Amino acid sequence: MSSRRFPLLFGLFALALAFALIGAPTLARADETCNSPYMGNLIKGQEDYVYVWTLGVPGLGDGSDKLVTIDANPKSATYGRVIHKVSVGGRGEAHHMGFTDDRRFLWAGGLDDSKIVVFDVGTDPAKPKIVKRINDFATKTGFVGPHTYYAMPGRMLVQALSNAKDKSGVTGFAVYSNRGDLINVVSMPTDKGGDGYGYDLAINPEKNVMLSSSFTGHVNYMRPLDKLVGDAEAMKKFGNTMVVWDLKALQPRKVLAVPGAPLEIRWSLRTGDNWAITAAALTSKLWLIKQDSAGEWGAKEVATIGDPAKIPLPVDISINRDGSGLWVNTFMDGTTRYFDLTNPEQPKQTYEKVTGKQINMISQSWDGKRVYIGSSLLANWDKPGDLNEQFVRAFNWDGKELTPAFEVDFTKEKLGRAHHMKFGAKAMKLAYPEMRTARAGSLR
Amino acid sequence: MSSLRALAAAVAWALALAGAVGTGGGAAAAHEPPMAPDPPAMMDFVPPAPGTYQLHAIMPSPDGHVLDVRGRRAPLARFTRDKITVLSFIYTGCADARGCPLAYQVLHTMYDRLGGSPDLRDRVRLVTLSFDPAHDTPEVMRRYANGVLADKGPGVEWAFLTTASSRELVPLLDGFGQDVRLEPGAHGTKAPRLGHVLKVFLIDPRGVVREIYTTSYLFPDVLLNDIETLRLE
Repeated sequence: MSSRRFPLLFGLFALALAFALIGAPTLARADETCNSPYMGNLIKGQEDYVYVWTLGVPGLGDGSDKLVTIDANPKSATYGRVIHKVSVGGRGEAHHMGFTDDRRFLWAGGLDDSKIVVFDVGTDPAKPKIVKRINDFATKTGFVGPHTYYAMPGRMLVQALSNAKDKSGVTGFAVYSNRGDLINVVSMPTDKGGDGYGYDLAINPEKNVMLSSSFTGHVNYMRPLDKLVGDAEAMKKFGNTMVVWDLKALQPRKVLAVPGAPLEIRWSLRTGDNWAITAAALTSKLWLIKQDSAGEWGAKEVATIGDPAKIPLPVDISINRDGSGLWVNTFMDGTTRYFDLTNPEQPKQTYEKVTGKQINMISQSWDGKRVYIGSSLLANWDKPGDLNEQFVRAFNWDGKELTPAFEVDFTKEKLGRAHHMKFGAKAMKLAYPEMRTARAGSLR
Repeated sequence: MSSLRALAAAVAWALALAGAVGTGGGAAAAHEPPMAPDPPAMMDFVPPAPGTYQLHAIMPSPDGHVLDVRGRRAPLARFTRDKITVLSFIYTGCADARGCPLAYQVLHTMYDRLGGSPDLRDRVRLVTLSFDPAHDTPEVMRRYANGVLADKGPGVEWAFLTTASSRELVPLLDGFGQDVRLEPGAHGTKAPRLGHVLKVFLIDPRGVVREIYTTSYLFPDVLLNDIETLRLE
C-alpha cells in the first residue's frame, strides 16, 4: 500500500468507525429496474445506448461536466465506443440523472453548483441535446445539492441533500412540471423522530406510498474525505432515518429509524409485493422496509454486506425486475456482490467479483443479462493515484458469472469521472418527426 | 351503459390474456421478443378524503384546433374550460390492453358514476381526443363513440374529438406532454404502432391541469375524489 493510498483507506475506516459510534457517502441511482413506476417506456430488450453523467476533471479534455453516450448494442459497428458527448460548460459536481415520465427528457444536476440541466433524448436518442437549464434551484427552493430526479406524471420530484442557509443535511424536495416550472417545495420532517435529512425517493403507487432516505449536507459531502473524518462534530451529521409519505397528499406519515445513512431505495416490482430494500452505507447492512399484516410500515436489518470491519462501503444497489435478487457495489474493495432475495427477510449472498479498483454505480438491463459498472463516487472522495480508475465496464451475466463485454476508459478518452448511467433506445424516437424538428431546441 | 363498460373490460382482458400486444401504456420493448403483459395495477389503499389535500397546478392546458364528430372545427379550449374536464388521448386502432381500452373503460366508469351524482353531473365533462388524425377522422370517431352518442345517457357531457392533421395535433401533444412513438408492429406485422404512455388529464374550470393519471395510478375512486376536491376549492 502506497503512502498516498493510506490516508484514504484510513479515512474511510475512520469514517465508518465514527459512524458506528455516532451516527455516511453519496452515491447512486441507476438501472432499468429502478425507474419511476410512472415511466411506461421501459426498455425491456437490448438497450442501444448508455448515457453517462460525467464529472469534469481540470486539465482533462475540456474539463467540463458532460453527458457521454456509449453505443451498447452488440450488433452495432460502434459497439462499446463513445458516439456522442455534450458538455454543459463548467464543473458542478455532476452526480445523478432521471427521466421524465415520457422518457423524452433526461434531467441531470450538480451537487455543488445546484444547477439542473435538461437533455432532450427523445428527438434523437443517439445525440442528447440541452434544451433547458434551471440555475435558480437554490434561490427558489432554499435547498442545495439536487440529487434524485424522480418522475411523476407530468412532473419531476427533485430531492436535495442540503439547504442554502447553513448547508447542513436538513433539506427537502421540490416538485417541477416537466417543462421546468417550480410547482411546490416540501421540507423533510424534523419532528416525530425526523432528522430533516434527504437522499433518495421511491414511489409505490399501488400503496399510495413514497419512501425517502437520508445522507448528509453540502458541508460534509464537498469536503475532502480525510478532513471530514477528522472532524468529530461533522461526523455526527449524517442521516439515520427513512420517511414513509402519503403520496397523494405528499405529507410525512411515519419516520423509520434506519441508522447508517440509508441510500438507494428499491421497491420490489413483483405484483403483490409490499416491500422495498436499501443499503446503509457505513454500517454495511441491508434493510427491509415492509408492511406488516396490519398494514403498518416498518424497517429491519436483514443482512450484512461483506465484512463491516473491512469497510466495504456499499454505494449502489440494483434489484431484479421480479425482486428475486440484488446487486450490491462496494466502493472500497471494488467488489460487486449478488444477493438472493427469494426470502427478502433473509437475503443470501451467492456471488462476488472484484470489478475495479474503485466502483460506485451498478445498472442492470430489464432482463438482468447485462450489468454496467461505473467508477466515480464524488470528486473529493474518489481514490488517489493509480487507484483512481475512471471507467464504465459492461458485463454479461448468465446467472453464474459476470463476463466482461466492453470497457470505456474515461481518463484515456479525456472525459472525466464516470458517475450515473441511464439507458436509451432507438425505439424511443418520437412519432411525427417532421413536426418535431421544427420545435426542437426548446422545452415545449 | 353497463353493457358497454363490460364490453370494454372484456376486450381489454381478452387482449391482455392473449398477450397480443406489449407496448403503449405498459412498457415498450425495444426490439426484443414479446414478454407476458404486466398485470393490471391494483389500488391497495384508502384514498385520502376529498378536500384534505391539494392538487398541484401542473400547467395550463394547451389550446389548438380540433374537430368534433361532425367535422366541425373548434378551439380545444371550448372543451377544457368552465367545467372540470377529464381528458384522455387515444387512437382507435390501439390494441394495448393497458392503453386506450383501459382509458375508455375508466372514462365509462366515470360516465356512469358522475351521472349518478346530481352535484357533479353538470360540472364535469369527459373528452376523448385522438392522436392519429390520419386514420381517426371525425367519422371514425363518431363510430367509436356511437354507443355513447346513441345513448340518452345520464346527462354527462362526453366529447369525442380529433384533429385535421399532425401539424395541428403535435402542439397539443407537446402542450400536454403526451408522448407518442412509432414502434414496429407486433408479431411480424409491418404496420407500425403508436406507442404511448396512457395518460388521463384532470383539468379545472380555469383550464389548468391539476392531476395526470397513468396506468399505474388510474383508479376511478381516486379520480372521483380528485374531482370532488376541485369542486370543494
